[in-house]
Amino acid sequence: MSAARRAGDVILSVQDVSLAFGGVRALQEVSFDVCEHEIRAIIGPNGAGKSSMLNVLNGVYHPQQGKIRLRNKEFADMDSHQAADLGIARTFQNIALFKGMSVLDNLMTGRNLKMRCNFLQQALWLGPAKREELEHRRAVEEIIDFLEIQHIRKTPVGRLPYGLQKRVELGRALAAEPAVLLLDEPMAGMNLEEKRDMCRFILDVNDHYGTTIVLIEHDMGVVMDISDRVVVLDYGRKIADGSPDEVRGNQSVVDAYLGVAH
Amino acid sequence: MSEVIFFFEVLAGGLLAGVMYALVALGFVLIYKASGVFNFAQGAMVFFAALTFVSLTERGWNFWLALVVTLAVMVLLGIVTERVVLRPLVNQPQITLFMATIGLTFVLEGLSQLIWGSQPHGLELGIPDVPMEWLSQKWNVNISQFDLFSAFVAGGLVAVLAVFFHRTRIGRALRAVADDHQAALAVGIPLQHIWAIVWAVAGFVALVAGLLWGVRNGVQFALTFVALKALPVLILGGFESIMGAIVGGLIIGASEKLAEVYVGPFVGGGIESWFAYVVALVFLLFRPEGLFGEKIIDRV
Amino acid sequence: MSGELTGLDTFPKLLMHHARARGDRPAIREKDLGIWQTWTWAQFAEQVRLCACGLAAQGLRRGSHIALISDNRPRLYAAMAAAQCLGAIPVPLYQDAVAAEMVFPIQNAEIGFAFAEDQEQVDKLLEILPQCLSLKRIYYDDPRGMRHYAQPELMAYEKLIELGREAHRRDPSFVENEIASGAGDDTAAMFFTSGTTGVPKGVVHSHASLIGPSLTAARLDRLGEGDVILAYLPPAWIGQNIFSCAQAFVTGYCICCPESAETVMTDMREIGPTYYFAPPRVLENLLTQVSIRMEDASRLKRWLYRRFMDVANRVGGAILDGKPVPALDRGLYWLGDLVVYGPLRNVIGMSRVKVGYTAGEAIGPDLFKFYRSIGINLKQLYGSTETAVFVCVQPDGQVKADTAGPAVPGVELRFTPERELLIRSPGLFREYYKNPEATRQAKDPEGWFHTGDAGYFDQDGHVKIIDRVKDVGRLADGTLFAPKYLENKLKFFPYIREAVCFGDARDKVCAFINIDPEAIGNWAERRNMPYSGYTDLSARDEVYELVRECIERVNADLSAEPEIANSQIHRFLILHKELEADDGELTRTRKVRRGFIGEKYGELVSALYAGKTSVHVEAQVRYEDGRTGTYSADLKIRDAKVFTPAASQRAA
Repeated sequence: MSAARRAGDVILSVQDVSLAFGGVRALQEVSFDVCEHEIRAIIGPNGAGKSSMLNVLNGVYHPQQGKIRLRNKEFADMDSHQAADLGIARTFQNIALFKGMSVLDNLMTGRNLKMRCNFLQQALWLGPAKREELEHRRAVEEIIDFLEIQHIRKTPVGRLPYGLQKRVELGRALAAEPAVLLLDEPMAGMNLEEKRDMCRFILDVNDHYGTTIVLIEHDMGVVMDISDRVVVLDYGRKIADGSPDEVRGNQSVVDAYLGVAH
Repeated sequence: MSEVIFFFEVLAGGLLAGVMYALVALGFVLIYKASGVFNFAQGAMVFFAALTFVSLTERGWNFWLALVVTLAVMVLLGIVTERVVLRPLVNQPQITLFMATIGLTFVLEGLSQLIWGSQPHGLELGIPDVPMEWLSQKWNVNISQFDLFSAFVAGGLVAVLAVFFHRTRIGRALRAVADDHQAALAVGIPLQHIWAIVWAVAGFVALVAGLLWGVRNGVQFALTFVALKALPVLILGGFESIMGAIVGGLIIGASEKLAEVYVGPFVGGGIESWFAYVVALVFLLFRPEGLFGEKIIDRV
Repeated sequence: MSGELTGLDTFPKLLMHHARARGDRPAIREKDLGIWQTWTWAQFAEQVRLCACGLAAQGLRRGSHIALISDNRPRLYAAMAAAQCLGAIPVPLYQDAVAAEMVFPIQNAEIGFAFAEDQEQVDKLLEILPQCLSLKRIYYDDPRGMRHYAQPELMAYEKLIELGREAHRRDPSFVENEIASGAGDDTAAMFFTSGTTGVPKGVVHSHASLIGPSLTAARLDRLGEGDVILAYLPPAWIGQNIFSCAQAFVTGYCICCPESAETVMTDMREIGPTYYFAPPRVLENLLTQVSIRMEDASRLKRWLYRRFMDVANRVGGAILDGKPVPALDRGLYWLGDLVVYGPLRNVIGMSRVKVGYTAGEAIGPDLFKFYRSIGINLKQLYGSTETAVFVCVQPDGQVKADTAGPAVPGVELRFTPERELLIRSPGLFREYYKNPEATRQAKDPEGWFHTGDAGYFDQDGHVKIIDRVKDVGRLADGTLFAPKYLENKLKFFPYIREAVCFGDARDKVCAFINIDPEAIGNWAERRNMPYSGYTDLSARDEVYELVRECIERVNADLSAEPEIANSQIHRFLILHKELEADDGELTRTRKVRRGFIGEKYGELVSALYAGKTSVHVEAQVRYEDGRTGTYSADLKIRDAKVFTPAASQRAA
């Protein structure tokens, strides 16, 4: 299935990134790249540094060493707001939605950066502001339709079951029309049916919008089915990189997952 | 018959006083909603705003010019507060932020008296604080013209804020920030920006409250204590709800006036100064999240 | 109205008439991307014209069949009407049927063309393509996910319309000519009966047999262009087709398509239909939801609800029927309307309903009364696929909870000695497609249709249906045993989802119960009872106790009805699994298949009658991920109290 997808040029690359908290070295000289339109997975056992890697890409952590290249711009590090501005959107392992707000409002916040009207126009609900709001509402409605969440449009997110919240969070990230979408364990804590749905949505998003997706996941089976290429981390180091089949056959990956002593 | 009329007169007086409490409570709610901080300095901001305005007019400034300039000062104050006090303290425990606002209180109080002096001022907005004639003649009900005016101002303010919160991108961002900081950052909502706006809006609300209270009680240091009156209102209405601040204010205002008149004689009077707290305490026992407070719904 | 419609003997002619007579009025609406989008009659007709040209260009000819597999969508109705313009015959199929179930209709009618809603339906058709050699063309409405499909049979609906546009430019009068050459006796559509037994049968209807009854019924209820309906039931069911197609084409009212199956409630509220149809099951679910919400409401609201529902129960029906009611009650009802009934009608989206119908199964009298008591003009009708729905209809002012109403004008009825209902009407089907044997059995030489339903006329000339002729049995002591009647009484309790009663030729009645997992789950949560799912809940003693109370209340009711007092339920068990259409235990319209269940769970039935207190079951269960496993446990069997019949009490 993944062969049918059209991977393009390198859009994001990570060069020799190292990150340490005090004495703990979370990432050690990790390098890899992500091509446009591909689904790129970062996997590894618990504590391998997957989340740290994602947080570096998203500007939450600032690496001590190394560079990140997005399109033609190079960064030593960035902050979250800047990352969002550059078109990096993400979801969180333990869901960071606005629980008191409706699904619709949550998705609308995803488009906040795209809104240009000033404060006064907005407050007075002037023509341009109204047009802008409607235009963004339309974009959001398309995502609602795409993710099949019409029936909960007006429901406060806090009242939804876990699986649906995950879907809403994916929707909010999509609403930003990201260049790169980071998914932090999108399948964590889901039952089989929800996992299958989520897989379908990730593939659909990739196919329909052509979104480049970087996902980290603990569950190896799921990842192998939907990814084009896989990076394997273990103890903060990259131990393998390649197609799912290559990675699966790699001895050090097998060792890492089986917990062979280092 | 006159009994009934008297009752309604007391009730109306109480409700209108309640509007004034609500106005102050509103300032607290705004900041608490957006940043989760109980802004101890709100009272000082009210005082500072009123004092600045009254001092400017006393120096012969035109009413509107003074108003605009004071508003600008309050907005600036909000922005500076965010920059100097809050930003360095980002990700600190709430108690630290709370302490910081206490510090801010003293700075503001000191600053205002340093600049404008410490003597009390009278304030006149051109609306007389006298009973409305046709009401008293026709129904024999005494309701102050000024009270009614304040009620309208407060109502207008709430309407504006409601539109602001629900209609605009900034309002939505504000609610988002109030809901979850991390998530707000992830979708690219600039926290600092939003906080500055909230503090500026709180400054604006403080100005309105300061002017109305200033007319009633004179602009003096005691104005900072109106913040204490807002506390029971907040407990009643919930710290996060604009609607709650209004309804809470009305309930507190009405109940304390009624208590003063109908219960006061039996316990020797002076009820008005503490009755609000009793109401708030009783309420705490039954509904700790407040009348309109957001019940946190968590699903696992 | 008849003057206006003279000479309009086919649906396409009616459509073109509305496009001229009320071109700017809304014909069909759909909620898309959160906004209701409208086709006026003129736009609808234009769409149909282009679609017809496209289909003709693709080779659809007069007399050939086209399958339609879709939820209610404007384009489905456009495609259906387009086929009719060409004299081709639309065959709507149930969109929730599995692929294998579609093989027979497609083979049977040698279907060459199909309209599919989306990827899901296309996948089903592609799956059975090797078995359906006649199927050459598949058009899909929603292009989502279809990008990588390269099968030559596939074409997007939009592309079809493009082709139609070109063809229309070349020959602008083509469609009008095709429409003009159609006649009322031509076949208009074919509906496959879901078939409680045996293979499905294609029921062939002409334009005349669909238009006639639709028009008569529309006149009876004074329906007009201002009416609105929400089309939310499967289009393959003739009822849906009559309400959201035939009657709209006759009266010019507006059809609204919900956004998705999950949003029907919200859409109802937004649209506010004036004409409404719901099978008892939907009304039941609605009431269950209302009851559950009321149980969670504040004490004040619950109190108000109870008080005012008492008032409504007492006088609501009478007020709706225009009967005299004491002034005090009238005042109370007015107040109740303000605080309870009005908001309630609004919540369930029935604020504007002027006429509502229910049919398909006998409705529990309490359920029926509930809707009427809160001011919704819910009525009953009787009909079937073979009779184009309208056989009996209750006119305003003659509404009863336990009858189907008198015959519609133009319909003749009589009962056989075996109490089977026979019908002769203008709405009668022509035949079962390619099945003369079945046609002969159902329709006798004098043109009487044998319904298979048992019943009788009551004193007011209303038809009262009690059950299927073959299902009505007798207990060993000769007491009439109408299982469906009992099951409906049980199902009125929110906690009971499904019930299956046994008792024919036996000494007493016993029952299988399916609990309602939602309602019981809620009940358990309120009692802080942890549970893991249906199977777990169904084995709890507390739940058994709850169900037993329900059964005993039914028994108390039955004891007051002399003829069936002896059919009280003596013993019951709660099934370990939910009855499913996929397992063949329910029909696609979710009626219980009693015979099949009786055989499948024969051991359980014998245990009930053998007086055992528990029975061991071992069953294949399918898990959510598609794997199967074995479930084994002891099902409890409990006794329920039976009451001395009222008649014999009096005698004693």
